[in-house]
Amino acid sequence: MYGALDTSTSALVAQRTRLEISAANIANAQALTNAAGEYEPYRRRFPVFAAGDPATGSPNGVHVASIEIDQGPLVPRLEPGSPYADADGYVKYPNVNSVIENMNSLEASRAYEANIAAIEATKSMMSVALQILA
Amino acid sequence: MIDDIANADTIPVLERLVQFAGQRHRLIVNNIANFDTPGYRPVDVSVESFRNQLGEAIDDRRGRRPDGKLNPIDSEQVEFLDDGMVLHADPIGENILFHDGNDRDLERTMQDLVENFMTFRTAAELLRSRMDIINSAIAERI
Amino acid sequence: MTDPLGLIGSIDRQLPPLPGMAGRPQDGPGFKQALNEQIAKVNELQRDAREAIEDLASGRRNDIESVLIATQKADTAFKLLLQVRNKVVDAYDEVKQMRV
Repeated sequence: MYGALDTSTSALVAQRTRLEISAANIANAQALTNAAGEYEPYRRRFPVFAAGDPATGSPNGVHVASIEIDQGPLVPRLEPGSPYADADGYVKYPNVNSVIENMNSLEASRAYEANIAAIEATKSMMSVALQILA
Repeated sequence: MIDDIANADTIPVLERLVQFAGQRHRLIVNNIANFDTPGYRPVDVSVESFRNQLGEAIDDRRGRRPDGKLNPIDSEQVEFLDDGMVLHADPIGENILFHDGNDRDLERTMQDLVENFMTFRTAAELLRSRMDIINSAIAERI
Repeated sequence: MTDPLGLIGSIDRQLPPLPGMAGRPQDGPGFKQALNEQIAKVNELQRDAREAIEDLASGRRNDIESVLIATQKADTAFKLLLQVRNKVVDAYDEVKQMRV
């Protein structure tokens, strides 16, 4: 049964990571400069899930295999007065869509709760099995 | 004589049911964990086939000696060991709803989780009550 | 050796009735037979419960509640029989220790 607990926990970790990445995206939705102050619009990050849990070496469970940077097109906005405007007066903004980020957060929450329910079931089964003895 | 205790009444049958439900629980939990994993196909074993295997072994046992050993026959998905079993699960579901290859059906998976848990619990409680009765008889005390 | 009451002899022989009790009617079926009947009934209840559990496990029936009730009946009947048996054994021990 402990294997089942490991599996569910790995899913909780993965989904929470996904939530955090979504939160980071939303927080940086208007960020035009990087940490050094240079003009580098923030690009959306997204996690790539893969089966298996490297922490325990088990083929069950899930983990974040990598966090990729969305190379999709940045969002241009017409701001002729901005120091970052290009020749046509457009400034490129981060490719973060709040609707998509909200949906992702909702899905991550839903999956998180489903795994909590799985953990509760595992705990109950372990108690019941113990009662066979006592 | 001691063998007869281990194989008495419905104890071997309930034992196999508890083992099956325990193993299947791990399967279902892994499906839930990989709910969002692209390319992951949810897997499961057929509960009906297992119950048929159990039924055949029960009939066979009744024919020989009612408290004899239960000898279930392996199938592709369920392999019986002396003190447990190994499940070989197959991918389920034909519908490809999402283009990343995963077929998500959270509600049905949660229902499977609950049903399987109830089977586990019922079998385990019945197993305990059978053993309690045998213990009562041995101790000559309720 | 005189044997006025006719007690010495084959144990299968019916004892003659004690004086004053000659008119008593014969007893009913007897304790031993009643006990055997109860044992048979408990056995039957246990067998029914066992079949019910096996049918539930193999999927031939799915009414858990009936199976649980049948199991409970069988177990309670068994416990009752166990208690009766204990009382009988205790009574026998007591009688055995009586000094004649």
